[in-house]
Amino acid sequence: MARFLVCIKQVPDSTTRVKVAPDGRSILTDGVTWSISPYDEYAIELALEHKDQAPDTIVSVITVGGARTKDALRQALAMGCDDATLVAGEGLGPLGIASALKSSVEELKPDLVLCGKQASDDDQGFVGPALAEALGWPHLAQITKLASAASGFEFWKETEGGHEVWTASGAAVLTVQKSAKEPRYPSLPGIMKAKKKEIPERSAADVGDPVKIEIVKLEPPAARGGGKILKDGDTKAFAQQLATLLRDEAKVL
Amino acid sequence: MTPPTIGIGQAVLALLAAIGFGAGLWRLIHLFRLMRIGRADPERWGRLPQRIVDELVLYLAQRKLFKRPYSIRGIAHALIFWGFLVIVAATTELLVSGISGGWHLPGATSGAFAWMLDALSLLVLVSIAIASARRLLFAPPHMHVAGQGYAILALIAVLIVALFAMEAGGVAAGRVEPGAAVPPIGAALGPLVPASVALTLFAVGFWGHLGSTLFFAAWLPRTKHLHIVTTLPNVFFRSPRPRGALRPIEGLEQQETFGAATLRDLSWKQHLDGYTCTECGRCSDNCPALATGKPLDPQKIVLDLRDLLLKEGDALLHDPKATGTAPAHQLATKPDELWACTTCAACVEQCPVTIEHIDKIVDMRRYLTMQESAAPPEAQRAMTNIERAGNPWGEAASTRGEWAQGLGVPTLAEKPDAEYLYFVGCAASFDRRNQRVAKALATILQAAKISFAILATEETCNGDPARRMGNEYLWQLQAQQNIETFGRYNVRKIIASCPHCFNTIANEYPQLGGAYEVVHALQLVEDLISEKKIALGPSSTGAAETVAYHDPCYLGRHNGIYEDPRAVLDAIDGVTRMEIAPHHRERGFCCGAGGGRMWMEEKVGQRVNHRRVEQILAAGDARGERPAKVASGCPFCLIMLDEGVGAKGIQEELKPVDVLELVASRVKG
Repeated sequence: MARFLVCIKQVPDSTTRVKVAPDGRSILTDGVTWSISPYDEYAIELALEHKDQAPDTIVSVITVGGARTKDALRQALAMGCDDATLVAGEGLGPLGIASALKSSVEELKPDLVLCGKQASDDDQGFVGPALAEALGWPHLAQITKLASAASGFEFWKETEGGHEVWTASGAAVLTVQKSAKEPRYPSLPGIMKAKKKEIPERSAADVGDPVKIEIVKLEPPAARGGGKILKDGDTKAFAQQLATLLRDEAKVL
Repeated sequence: MTPPTIGIGQAVLALLAAIGFGAGLWRLIHLFRLMRIGRADPERWGRLPQRIVDELVLYLAQRKLFKRPYSIRGIAHALIFWGFLVIVAATTELLVSGISGGWHLPGATSGAFAWMLDALSLLVLVSIAIASARRLLFAPPHMHVAGQGYAILALIAVLIVALFAMEAGGVAAGRVEPGAAVPPIGAALGPLVPASVALTLFAVGFWGHLGSTLFFAAWLPRTKHLHIVTTLPNVFFRSPRPRGALRPIEGLEQQETFGAATLRDLSWKQHLDGYTCTECGRCSDNCPALATGKPLDPQKIVLDLRDLLLKEGDALLHDPKATGTAPAHQLATKPDELWACTTCAACVEQCPVTIEHIDKIVDMRRYLTMQESAAPPEAQRAMTNIERAGNPWGEAASTRGEWAQGLGVPTLAEKPDAEYLYFVGCAASFDRRNQRVAKALATILQAAKISFAILATEETCNGDPARRMGNEYLWQLQAQQNIETFGRYNVRKIIASCPHCFNTIANEYPQLGGAYEVVHALQLVEDLISEKKIALGPSSTGAAETVAYHDPCYLGRHNGIYEDPRAVLDAIDGVTRMEIAPHHRERGFCCGAGGGRMWMEEKVGQRVNHRRVEQILAAGDARGERPAKVASGCPFCLIMLDEGVGAKGIQEELKPVDVLELVASRVKG
């Protein structure tokens, strides 16, 4: 029997149009739909696929955050995770989150810890490796597939144009890359069961945040200018106009 | 005529009748018990007057048999059917008089009955010749032509020929009783029968007719000709729901399994449908998925369920805990069959015996989607998008009202006393091409001084794609959210420019307590034109153009709106409307987007929308002039037709448009 722990983060859904708050350092949370960060969903899917093959696998899910993040945990439970834990802690930086997770990992004693390779809001890709460092476990990045092997597990690690196969004989932290199998849509029995599950809360009060990182400024990208359609002339004239524009206006030639 | 059974013959006939009917009844009782494996189905009761009208129109008058392009064979079938009603009466009379030893049913000896019987029997013989020739010489592509069909036709022929032989022999042998009418065929043939064989011929005819009929009674429930018995109840119990409304699952959150997990989860009426299928193949003839090489065959959907019931029904009957094979997994190909359906209702429209194909497909999809989470990945993505962004494309919900910026279109929050809510829908809100249709409708409504408003960001997907993908749960969530919003603004009248929004709000929201006066934009525009509330000017170029009209399934077949869009087109100066014959009106061919197919990949066979474009071109060629435009009244048809003409590289020759755009370009503000 294997026990997996998937660490997830709740982020603004990719369909939400994010707006910068008046303070210029945070986003407006009004009207934001929150969901599990996409790479974390792939991590859940990877763990659940293993559970499909080996039904005695236990897949636990954990997050650090406020009360709102329970929705993300419930979504993970609906997808088929067995249990969920909320570590209460807001305003923590990546190292703080890694150390908040560390005590839970030590208590739950999973065989593998899975994280998405990065969160879709800050794209730092920090928590997974930091957690491995804090635990003193090996870390493997860009994982797209995992399977049981003679001793421990075998992992597919994406590389440029191919993949490498790695094994781990003991516990490890994996950061998961997008894979061919889309994260599953929850079944209705899954949703119903998830609604009834207790989500225990742990405190992260004793966690120190050794490195303080701060957002200084947030700015939306500049609005894209309109395109230009060349209307007059034949093919040759078009080509001339285009070349002129590319050289003089766009300055790419 | 005095029967040839006096004495021991009476007992023999009574015994044969008991065996024949007994064997038939035995089988019918078994089938009935198997049918009752299905769940209860309260919607099948009540509404008695409508059900009686259905019996008169659909059963007795055989109305659905005469649909295009089946009218000739439909007449042949109707003649066999009507002839049979009289022959059954004659056979009953022969049985009664044979067993009683000469007692006749009232009216049985009248001239009227004798003439009716002989005339109809002759017509039945002719029809049997037509039916045999059709099977032999030009069999319809999807009809199951099997030995059994010929055997049944032969049996009917035998029992009629025997009847005529009996009449001829009886007349020659002087068996016509005093005062009884002489049957006309007997009168015509009787003089040709030599006196020496007359009595024998009479007896052979009598026993031949009754013997073959009793054999028929025993055999019939074991063949597809069971429909002779089951059509009567199948028509009677047909669903009273509007065709466009799927069956709601009540108390969804309290269910243990979802959709058709086992044969027990299909209603008994759905099993009765299986018994009633005559394998005529009309549903399959008209299926756009089958026509373009998909694995779906609507007739097979019905027959597979029937076969599964006959195969596993006994086991389920004997063990209340047994579940048997999940219908959605009866065959390895079954999920692909189910996901290929566009819910266009061409099958339901054509079925002469009112079989409900879509309900079965959706019940099995419900199982795949809600129970097993086994919907195709693209469908799952669309459902996730509806959950998170309120639209299947996953566009930012906060941008829903942006199409209306600068057009002077108020929101209900700004104008709470507006007479109409324009429910824009996801396609016209987010798809750039369809935003032009929403703008066109706004122009028309403003010109007509209609008081209307939109919901902008307060609107969310009506839920139709989710429901048709089998996600009843998500549909209910979406519908409840919209109903709540409508309630907050006390909305009473709704305009929809999308037939899917129109259909689900008009026909399905009442299931959740949301009842409104809903019109499709083209119905409203037709009224505005005929009431002269808008005036349409000539085209800016003054040129005449031919415009083909494409029937959206959810306007036409699902809601019977065929005339209004045509009337609107006809009211536009310089527009010549063209029918995409023969694939128009109730035989209109789907664009391929319904049933949630819009968001699923289509990799097998030809794309449905490409076939549709070919049909439009062919219809144009047949009348000697290809249309310049193809107009529709549905955003998804528009997207599909745009893609179709683009793929064929004819986007300049054949322009897909919405009828509303044509009106808006002419409307005088």
